[in-house]
Amino acid sequence: MTETAADEQAVAGVAPALRLRGVGRRFGGLHAVRSVDLEVAPGERRAILGPNGAGKTTLFNVIAGDLSASSGSVELFGQDVTHMPSRHRARLGLARTYQQSRLLLGLSVEDSIYLSILGVAGGHLRPVILKRRDRAIRQRAREAARRVAIEHKLAELVGSLSHGEHRQVAVAMALASEPKILMLDEPASGLSRGERLLVTELLLGLDRAITLILIEHDMDVALRVAERVTMMHDGNVIVEGTPDEIRANELVHELYLGRQHYADE
Amino acid sequence: MVLVVALLGPFLFSDFFTHTLLTQVFWYGIAAASLIFLFGYGGMVSLAQVSLYGIAGFVVGNAVTTGAAKGQHFGLDPWLGVVLAIVITTLIGLVLGALASRSFGIYFLMLTLTFAVLTNYFFGQVTVFGGFSGVSGIQLHTPGVIGNPNIHPNRLYYVALGTSVAVYLLIRYVVRTPFGVALQGIRDDPVRMSSLGYNVTLHRTLAFAFGAFISSLAGILFVWWNDHVDPASMDLSAVIDLLVIAVIGGLSRLEGAWLGAFVFVILNNYLRSVPGLGHVGISPERFHTAIGIVFLVIVLVSPSGLMGIWERLRNRVAGAGGSIGSAPPGEGPREPDSQPAAG
Repeated sequence: MTETAADEQAVAGVAPALRLRGVGRRFGGLHAVRSVDLEVAPGERRAILGPNGAGKTTLFNVIAGDLSASSGSVELFGQDVTHMPSRHRARLGLARTYQQSRLLLGLSVEDSIYLSILGVAGGHLRPVILKRRDRAIRQRAREAARRVAIEHKLAELVGSLSHGEHRQVAVAMALASEPKILMLDEPASGLSRGERLLVTELLLGLDRAITLILIEHDMDVALRVAERVTMMHDGNVIVEGTPDEIRANELVHELYLGRQHYADE
Repeated sequence: MVLVVALLGPFLFSDFFTHTLLTQVFWYGIAAASLIFLFGYGGMVSLAQVSLYGIAGFVVGNAVTTGAAKGQHFGLDPWLGVVLAIVITTLIGLVLGALASRSFGIYFLMLTLTFAVLTNYFFGQVTVFGGFSGVSGIQLHTPGVIGNPNIHPNRLYYVALGTSVAVYLLIRYVVRTPFGVALQGIRDDPVRMSSLGYNVTLHRTLAFAFGAFISSLAGILFVWWNDHVDPASMDLSAVIDLLVIAVIGGLSRLEGAWLGAFVFVILNNYLRSVPGLGHVGISPERFHTAIGIVFLVIVLVSPSGLMGIWERLRNRVAGAGGSIGSAPPGEGPREPDSQPAAG
């Protein structure tokens, strides 16, 4: 829970997993994201916090390529991806979940996870079934389902599952593609206390090679998982530091932590 | 069961029923299957399928006929005509798909409708391909194994039946391949699929070309059956007929294509001769009124068409609320989210 991971990487001269320089995104007259500089080292656990409307999800969309940046640049592992479509960023090892789970409601759980793996593995257009290859991918899909404890629903349509199960499927899809950078948008929101504990355990147990970037309103989850925290407000980064520094920061208290009780329930 | 009856068709039913009606059901079913494939698995409502089979029909007509026929009458080998029809129609499908596949929902529908109208006018105005009165005499130039369908109607019947079964099995296979599963993912959420690494536009384009390929098969059977193709074979009324067939049958099940075609063709023929209907105002000219009423009733009772009704009955008999198997639910693609999603 220190900043050593980032420092070591900087000393060793390894390119950061993610680097944003002056990233902004406008919607007409609305500056959802103004000018964000951000560096996340490989293997780091980073939480992005901030009140509703701070621009966190927009920033996620710009990083993932679902939205283009109005200004600034985005780099993944030292490669400029500012103008790269989202599907190519996915193949560089970037996987994400969405705040309102964007799932493939008409497909089974297994097919959804299968598609997540296939998206990175390639062979999307293959109009024939290659038994061995497809079986191997489906095997991986089932393993991913087991990791998030949804393996008993593999054959069910995603559209017929509950909200909590949707979260599990979303995380399974993100994990199954074996990403280098995993971006989770409020993975614990709307979950019961028990389910939130499960999510926390799952995140703490993640392979250290995966860089994790997390938007989370639940401070218990965010501050337990993250090594560094970035606070956003009104489209800007206002504070960055360790969880302890964030807890101690006056400004953060004023803007955010003081209202935690509302945000929590 | 259905297949066995269909195989014995020529021995069970009258010549008229078999050769005029059932053969028509088969090629109509294939055309409707292309529409159901695109909608059910790809989320694309295409009104271009009739135009595509019309194009295939015109290609065959121009390629194989000789001498006195209108159009180009190249007099090519009938098999070459088949190959040309499939290749040209699929290529046109590829181009149209590339143009239309960036659009979703109503916009996609409008683009394909535009194509349908354009194609209809094109063949009406461009006389070198047959013009307004079309190309006739195609039955004299079918491949040898089929012969003239007027003399050997059973052969065309079995070819159309065989093609239907092949198309059904092919689509069922394709939707389980990586290409097909990904297509269903794109139907559900194209933006999500893009962020999973898929090229949504290319995928939809290729799916559309595959639909055009299926349509071309229907077009070839159509001209062998009909002997004749003209712009009226692909006018707006024909476009709507095919849409009605697909919806009556059930857009969420592939089998619905042939079921819908069967109901449509039967109504089309026998409604005209039911005694007494004339007295309540349903004369032969009122066929579209009648099919419209049938359409309304089916859509109101079961949005998933006759296949949906059949499914519910079967589940009730089996005493189990069942899953719909691997069938896609009739849900179109969602519009890409363009709203600012502030965190």
